[in-house]
Amino acid sequence: MGHAAFRLSGIVKDFPGVRALDHASLEVMPGEVHGLVGENGAGKSTVIKVLAGVYQPEAGQIEVDGQRLSPATPLSVHAVGVRFIHQELHLVPHFTVTESVFMGQERTARLGLAKREMRRAAEAFLRDALGLDLPGNRLIRDLGTAERKLVQVARALIDGEAKVVVFDEPTAPLASNEVDIVMEAIARLKAQGIAILYVSHYLSEITEICDRVTVFRQGETVGVFDTITDASAGDLVFAMVGRNITDMFPPKGSRATGRGLEISGLTDGAKFAPLSLSVGEGEIVGIAGLIGSGREEFVDTLYGLRRKTSGHVTFDGSPLHIATAAQAVKAGLVLVPRDRRHDGLVLPMTVTENATLATLEDNATAGIENRKAARTATEAQIQALDIRPPNPDAVTRLLSGGNQQKVVLARWLATSARIFIFDEPTVGVDVGAKAEIYQLIEDLAAKGACIILSSSDPVELQGVCDRIAVMTRGALVGELNAGEITVDDLVAATTGAASLAEIRDAG
Amino acid sequence: MSSTSAPSGPFANIFLRFGFLIVFAAFFALFAVWNPVFVQGGNLMNIVEGSAVLMIVALGMTLIVATGGIDLSIGIALDFGAAFAVVAMKTYGLDWFGAACAGIIGGSLVGLFNAALVVGLRISPFLATLSTFFIGSSVQRIFTNGGGPISHRRMPEEFRNLALGQIAGIPTEAVIAFVLAVLYFLVLERSIWGRRIHAMGMQRSAAVVAGIRVNRILLLCFVLASATCAVGGLIAAANIRMFTPLSGFSYLLDAIAAVFIGAALHPRGRPNIPGTVIGVLFLGMVANGLNLMGLNFNTKDALQGIILLSALALAVAQRKARNG
Amino acid sequence: MQADAQGRRFLLELFGFLPVIIFAGVLVYISFNAPNFVTLRNLELIVMQSLPVVLVCAGLAAVVMAGGDDVVSGGIDLSIPATAVLSAGITAQMLSLGYPLLFCAAAALAASTVVGVLNALLVTRIQMTPLLTTLAMFVAVVGANNVVTASRRINVDHPWIIALRAQDVGGVPLGIVVVALVVAAAFFLLHQTRWGLNLQAAGGSRDAAEISGLNVNRFIDQSFLLAAFTGFICGFFILARGSGSSPGVQDNLMLEMVLATFLGAAFSPRRVVTMWGAVLGALLVAAISIGFKSMGVNLFWTGLIKGSLIVLVVAFSAISQRAR
Repeated sequence: MGHAAFRLSGIVKDFPGVRALDHASLEVMPGEVHGLVGENGAGKSTVIKVLAGVYQPEAGQIEVDGQRLSPATPLSVHAVGVRFIHQELHLVPHFTVTESVFMGQERTARLGLAKREMRRAAEAFLRDALGLDLPGNRLIRDLGTAERKLVQVARALIDGEAKVVVFDEPTAPLASNEVDIVMEAIARLKAQGIAILYVSHYLSEITEICDRVTVFRQGETVGVFDTITDASAGDLVFAMVGRNITDMFPPKGSRATGRGLEISGLTDGAKFAPLSLSVGEGEIVGIAGLIGSGREEFVDTLYGLRRKTSGHVTFDGSPLHIATAAQAVKAGLVLVPRDRRHDGLVLPMTVTENATLATLEDNATAGIENRKAARTATEAQIQALDIRPPNPDAVTRLLSGGNQQKVVLARWLATSARIFIFDEPTVGVDVGAKAEIYQLIEDLAAKGACIILSSSDPVELQGVCDRIAVMTRGALVGELNAGEITVDDLVAATTGAASLAEIRDAG
Repeated sequence: MSSTSAPSGPFANIFLRFGFLIVFAAFFALFAVWNPVFVQGGNLMNIVEGSAVLMIVALGMTLIVATGGIDLSIGIALDFGAAFAVVAMKTYGLDWFGAACAGIIGGSLVGLFNAALVVGLRISPFLATLSTFFIGSSVQRIFTNGGGPISHRRMPEEFRNLALGQIAGIPTEAVIAFVLAVLYFLVLERSIWGRRIHAMGMQRSAAVVAGIRVNRILLLCFVLASATCAVGGLIAAANIRMFTPLSGFSYLLDAIAAVFIGAALHPRGRPNIPGTVIGVLFLGMVANGLNLMGLNFNTKDALQGIILLSALALAVAQRKARNG
Repeated sequence: MQADAQGRRFLLELFGFLPVIIFAGVLVYISFNAPNFVTLRNLELIVMQSLPVVLVCAGLAAVVMAGGDDVVSGGIDLSIPATAVLSAGITAQMLSLGYPLLFCAAAALAASTVVGVLNALLVTRIQMTPLLTTLAMFVAVVGANNVVTASRRINVDHPWIIALRAQDVGGVPLGIVVVALVVAAAFFLLHQTRWGLNLQAAGGSRDAAEISGLNVNRFIDQSFLLAAFTGFICGFFILARGSGSSPGVQDNLMLEMVLATFLGAAFSPRRVVTMWGAVLGALLVAAISIGFKSMGVNLFWTGLIKGSLIVLVVAFSAISQRAR
């Protein structure tokens, strides 16, 4: 069998007041794609930083290619061929593909840069090693997300010295057809004998691509699974959280469907064709679609962030005039945006400041704030939503993804909104918080709110929604009844692998 | 983690918390020792009075910086305020109140123009207000045929009193500055509008999604800031009984410095009115103290620039150290 | 659909070129209306006129490339023109005291370097925003220059400095040759070397550069030093143009520098600040100034025209950026 590409054993890492890793171990063989899963806080990112030499562990050994590294430093780790593909893309938008691939490791000729040589090498590497045909002079800002991801991969591997590659959530920003591009590239790397550590929240990808999976829970290695013989996504979730996946989605209540939200002929005149959709009171309607399907643009247009060119929207039969987000909020239509850190929260502000941002008038007299009232209201919200830490003065930048999402939700729950749009509500949220957010969505519906859930996660759509509208290539192609389809059906519908009629017939 | 990186010990801690105020006090003591006249009541009132126009301009600047922008054209708004008021009195024979209103409207035009560029054309505030500065300066030159002052000897007494009068023994200009500062404090630090302004200044896209009408706020803030600066222009014009073209520019750097000193003093680094007031008083004190030292004009100017730079650096360093 | 998107993209690209088209239009208009505008003699005049701006633009371009092109939070160095004036002031004053030119130049270089080092320290170590730092530095340096020169005009008739204006090298004025060499060196350094590419990466995305093992702060430090150096050289051209140092050059130089550099971004294919874009921008600004002058347009209008040009250029590039 030979020795492992790298092996971490007995790693202990303490932070003030908390043991982040408790004798954790991890081993990856050459030519193996090895998954690493665990909830947020399980120690995944800590173990990566230990491997990267960024953190020095209190105890334990790091071996790469049979050689023990002591201590591991960023330089020594790089020198033995360990490369990291970070979750964020970290590319310069106005650089070319070639410049990006060679950033920080440019090749020079006698006078200045060897531009032509670098371009040829970059193109060849992208084509041969990653299966992507891309002209070296294209600008990064003109590339799709998956292409950018592969440029990032090429930058890490172009020196040809890589033996171990760590992918940290490589598919998080990608649509499912783009995921395939990255998966294919990883398969090619595997065929070249490179050991790959694949860290992801997406369990379906893990079971699809990985040979073995290590599961972390609370800083410990709780198991190593062989995906071919003994691990389904359900088993992995059970190992991660210590409970079953069926807990994840709340049971769907019975819907007393009123007239609710009616959208007819809405379009932005560019990215999606006129679209009609109705959402009854107490109903959860999903929007499924890949990136580029017009799903995001539809949500933005409905909320007034994009200009609509035609169409109208009514609630309970009376028209809603929404040209700006402010008008949407006033009309009782609110959005939990997909980019939480950018659009959802004012990160430098506290929980109270964020949670009361849409209801400032409620906690003020004649325009002057009543800070005590705002704090009290927020404390109640913190309790109701179980926001941690339970501190109304905590700066939201420092909260975890799930708790940040709850603060966004708290802000809207304080309003008298009747229509809620959730856009990718659980991206970057750990499994535990996910279940809580699903429960909150279900509770809202039970109280008669109209809910639109736009998501790229078919499991989520199928588990939460009553009906699912499917968008492909800028058009709404039809609706599916969530109770009558499987997750696979939904994937087939969004990717165009099967028509909706075929799916309905099969179901 | 910050406990390991920040310097420890009682002295370091005290300095980090109060560093800027210590320097403020040290300068105060230095000036007092150098020339005892400095600490006499009359002179302290001079400092306050002499800082009034800068204070007013800096209030407007604080507002714009709080929205996440910057306004390089506040000097133009000040000039326009003075010009409209003087011309209203001299050419159109308006009384002092009409002239003051004309001045404020004149200044507001500058804000409207800025808002048109920033909100309408979505140009970044720095470049937009830089253009306004170019254009406004040029307009003044054209209007005055090259930049000569417009004097108005027979200025109504009431108008002159904006600068030279007293209310309850306190110079009117200081009273005006104080009242404006209180109003600004209430709006920016205690009202729901202030909360919205800060939210959009820190993270505009999130403010938009939260339903805040950012364009309206920006428009109002630019107009309000310019109108405020025009009030400063009224006082400046009343002081010397004339409109001097392009004189507002001299307040720009001091106003920016005061705002950023103030922001650095805030625990979360936000632009804020009390901080701006401290910044303005510090700059006013330094100018006054150096004057009393009897230094020549050039040396005084250079020292003032260096102190301004050091004060900013200190305030920023202090915030950085405090936040770890 | 595909063809539609392509057509749209093409229109957008075209839209992004509108500033260039407008500029070309203005120049064509001038050349039809101003006699002798398109003569070799006049082109030479334009280039000569633009030399100081070209130099400081080269410096500013380096700082913007290393710090990023967000005017408020990214890289900017407004103090370069002040450095240039200080360099001119020191040289002129020491020449008038009878020191040899090389000695004077060494002193000017030392002073310029101090400014560059201070900028770098304040920005990368104390973490003050570059806009604030260099604006304050501008004031402090101008103040220092006023102390050096006592705010007087100092005539310089050193043959080497006059030669920059009057001497020809193979039919081309020496000044143009020198600036061309400096700009060519800066261009090579920033656009054709590994160092330059890494510096651009630092400004393009700080995170990306750091992930690639680049020391971003070092590049920012170096860019400020380079900027100070261009200021130092520029000082001699200020002396040559005016046959001596005179106070007040810096304000106009600063405004033209910012206009030209950001104008240049609209000319670059990637819509970012580049060395040659900045130089081209400086030449065009000078061409338009001189063009309107030779058309007999009142001097007072030039500010208005320049301001409007900033608005046009920036608005168009903002719109074409946004539509991407």
